[in-house]
Amino acid sequence: MPDDTRTVTLTIDGREIQVPAGTRLFDACTEARDGEQLPHFCYHPDLSVAGVCRLCQVEVEGMPKLTIACNTIVREGMVVSTRSEKVRRAAKQILEMHLINHPVDCPICDQAGECGLQDQYMEYGLYESEVGKADKVHKAKAEVIGPHVILDQERCVLCSRCVRFCDEVTKTGELGIFNRGDRAELGVYPGSRLDNGYSLNTVDICPVGALTSRDFRFQKRVWLLRSAPSVCPGCSTGCNVRVDHEGGRVYRLKPRRNDAVNGPWMCDKGRMTYRELHAENRLQQPLLRRDGELAAVDWPAFWDALRPRLAVGGAVLVDPAQTLEEIFLAGAVAGRFCDGRAWGGPAEARRGEGDDLLLSADRAPNRAGLAWFGLDELPAAALAAKLAETRGPVLVYGGDPAGADPALAAVLADRDVVYLGTHRNATAELAFAVAPLSAWAEREGVYVNKDGRLQAFRRAIAAPGLAREDWRFLADLLAALGDEDPPADMPSVRRRVAAALPRLGDIDLNVLPAAGAVPPAVGAAPGGKP
Amino acid sequence: MARADCKILSSRFGRRDGHRLDVYRAEGGYTALAKALGGMGRDAVTAAVKDSGLRGRGGAGFPAGVKWGFVPKDAERVFFMVNADESEPGTFKDRYLLDYDPHLVLEGAAISSFAVGADLCFVYIRGEFGWLVERMEQAVAEAYAAGLLGKDILGSGYDLDVVVHKGAGAYICGEETGLINSITGTKGQPSIKPPFPAVSGFLGRPTIVNNVETVAAVPFIVNEGAAAYRAFGTEKSTGTKLWSVSGPVRRPGVYEVPLGIPFREFFAEHLGGMREGEELKAVIMGGSSVPVLTADEAMAVNLDYESLQEAGTMLGSGGMIVIPARCDMVELIQVLMHFYWDESCGQCTPCREGTGWLHKIVRRLRRGEGQAADLDLLEKVCDGMAGLTICPLADAAVMPMRSFLQKFRPEFEALVREPRPAGAATRWPRGEEVPHHA
Repeated sequence: MPDDTRTVTLTIDGREIQVPAGTRLFDACTEARDGEQLPHFCYHPDLSVAGVCRLCQVEVEGMPKLTIACNTIVREGMVVSTRSEKVRRAAKQILEMHLINHPVDCPICDQAGECGLQDQYMEYGLYESEVGKADKVHKAKAEVIGPHVILDQERCVLCSRCVRFCDEVTKTGELGIFNRGDRAELGVYPGSRLDNGYSLNTVDICPVGALTSRDFRFQKRVWLLRSAPSVCPGCSTGCNVRVDHEGGRVYRLKPRRNDAVNGPWMCDKGRMTYRELHAENRLQQPLLRRDGELAAVDWPAFWDALRPRLAVGGAVLVDPAQTLEEIFLAGAVAGRFCDGRAWGGPAEARRGEGDDLLLSADRAPNRAGLAWFGLDELPAAALAAKLAETRGPVLVYGGDPAGADPALAAVLADRDVVYLGTHRNATAELAFAVAPLSAWAEREGVYVNKDGRLQAFRRAIAAPGLAREDWRFLADLLAALGDEDPPADMPSVRRRVAAALPRLGDIDLNVLPAAGAVPPAVGAAPGGKP
Repeated sequence: MARADCKILSSRFGRRDGHRLDVYRAEGGYTALAKALGGMGRDAVTAAVKDSGLRGRGGAGFPAGVKWGFVPKDAERVFFMVNADESEPGTFKDRYLLDYDPHLVLEGAAISSFAVGADLCFVYIRGEFGWLVERMEQAVAEAYAAGLLGKDILGSGYDLDVVVHKGAGAYICGEETGLINSITGTKGQPSIKPPFPAVSGFLGRPTIVNNVETVAAVPFIVNEGAAAYRAFGTEKSTGTKLWSVSGPVRRPGVYEVPLGIPFREFFAEHLGGMREGEELKAVIMGGSSVPVLTADEAMAVNLDYESLQEAGTMLGSGGMIVIPARCDMVELIQVLMHFYWDESCGQCTPCREGTGWLHKIVRRLRRGEGQAADLDLLEKVCDGMAGLTICPLADAAVMPMRSFLQKFRPEFEALVREPRPAGAATRWPRGEEVPHHA
């Protein structure tokens, strides 16, 4: 690990730079080359050094041979060349070695477009092949090695990143490289499967198309995808993610590095949360109960039916998966609708088993946000009792309390329920009016993770059908409840949130840093260190 | 000392009883261990070995005393390993030592372990040497029973355990980090350096790995002194060397001679020249991994590290392969390329892919399917392998390949044909196949 108390000065490609002592030459080269990395397959900053792909060779003055930058620690006064003829020639030769037994099946490979072999061929290769097709070593193709990952041995460059990931990060050790020489193959140990809950990270770090996602396989060419920075809604850890989408459809989630939260990783469960966006039971139109059945209507009809029922309010239930802004607005709604009777819960919902890596037992992305606004989460029985004491319609905002607990379902079945949500679930089935709202990737917002870190996510795609963005719907609801000054845009919502939460101190929700922000501890001086 | 007396390592070779402890002790065995433990001390042993100029006999020729000196002084625990994974093609000297004189190896190993401060010593024997594992285990048991190993050796307070470990038969486990990984129980493949084993080896602790022949010279150096050792050999290539000689010479076998004698003399006096009807064509001096010398080049060299280096080759392991005129050099290189392809551990890309590619190209040349461009391609593939990998196996394949191609190019060219006209059937006979298991 770099020892940041001392710095080392070295010269790379004629440019003098200073880096902390202990820095790997590879990383120093990246800095000196303005972010352009040396060619490489096996080096990964979060894994041990393998030094096997041999691509990051550089010339160090005073050393007779080229040396790999990944296994070299910077020294004072080092003079390094990364662009000399000798270095480029070595990179080209080694790249050619990587490709001689590669099937070059880019047209049917999911990795095409984000493949290390392709990128480096464009940079260093551009030669005519001197290997006949008949001369290639053939290995197994399309092997299913776990619930999420499929392996193509022929595309594998044996960089061992995935093996090191399973040895060092998950410490589950399912993968190994078997046999030797050009018969060497990546594989799972006998009787084992790659099912450690983090298996799709191996697909991320695979520099070629050897490990691909069974979920994403053959779904979309990657160069057609657009990306939005986001935060995983799967649990209270709040892993930073990238939402890859095209044509109003999300195709995959990829982790986005945030060393304060998830490093470069995320769990398999989190990756699959996007599937909910396109589930068959997504609500796309407002629904009103007519003759005992829920019937699709348009928004004017919905409001016409709802407005007369707002005079006497029962309670508001808010799901801990709503954003900070939405919880604030829901609180404002409760203030006008039902004298502020608002709860979170049931407390048993959105729980699961956690692990000691990233996945939290608290599967709600914003439980802390709910607490910040003082919305108590009640256990199902207590919540049912509270609801039984109220009169008037119950606004259920998100979640599925009726599906979570039979006692709650019984109480709600007895009441006029207005369900504001994204999916047609047990609670929606009990409602007399259902408002279709936006799911996570269809709106923007801020979650507070389990460590009290505020993290913003952006909207990736539009909500389906007539579904509305939550804050717009809630603003309309406030207006319907007599609010003469409902918020007109998201920045103003956020300013109101900040005004309601003194603990935020100087933090501006409209311009949160990429890594998020942690408010000063309660009682600490403003501007103090988190 | 006359050359005939040069028996530092080989005095018991060929004898039926030489491996027995009583015979070894009767001939002065274990007196060096007693001397080292009984007052001479670690530093003096290391100094003597340094002064003797003893160089590693496994192939690299690195000075043994200097290597010992790399062990950090404040090391908590140190390990010593005897590399008996003798697997360089053409080399069969260590097996003689293990077979005929296991106690000499063991005494050398014990003194070396003492010098570097090790309390545990492994003898790593290649898997194919099954009977030598038994022989060594027997010697170890004898030594334990006689108080020459174990707790408080010879009343000196020094404890040393020796474990004989049988390898599983991979060439690359003879590379020291491969050997350490193999003993550790992980895949037998070399590790990246740094860190070097003398700093972080077995179980992350300082570990010194020395060849069998290297440690076998240590008792003589301790007993007789560095100067007595330096009396043999040249200034920089001190002492004696075991040469294992194969090929159609009159007297093939293992010879101990002082370093620095002319090959011409060694060839004539010890080997007795070529057998009747054979003519010398070429010599591989130091095991299959070094560049080949033509007959003329061989006749001009002396058998020491410097002279052989000047001639563009290496002393290596001393595995001398004498090649007669009737030998097809392309066939021979095919055998070698098959070997390196088969033995590459596969972790570094240039070696994994390059050894396979070289083998394929040579194979198709011998099948009569090669083309003129293939000779340049061989050169190019060699360029993409040499000096670019973790361990020297890629270079070990490149050195013979390049030298064969350079020095015997006409034999390669004779196998090359013009591209055949489209659609025409091959009229060239298929070359003789070297069996391989793929």
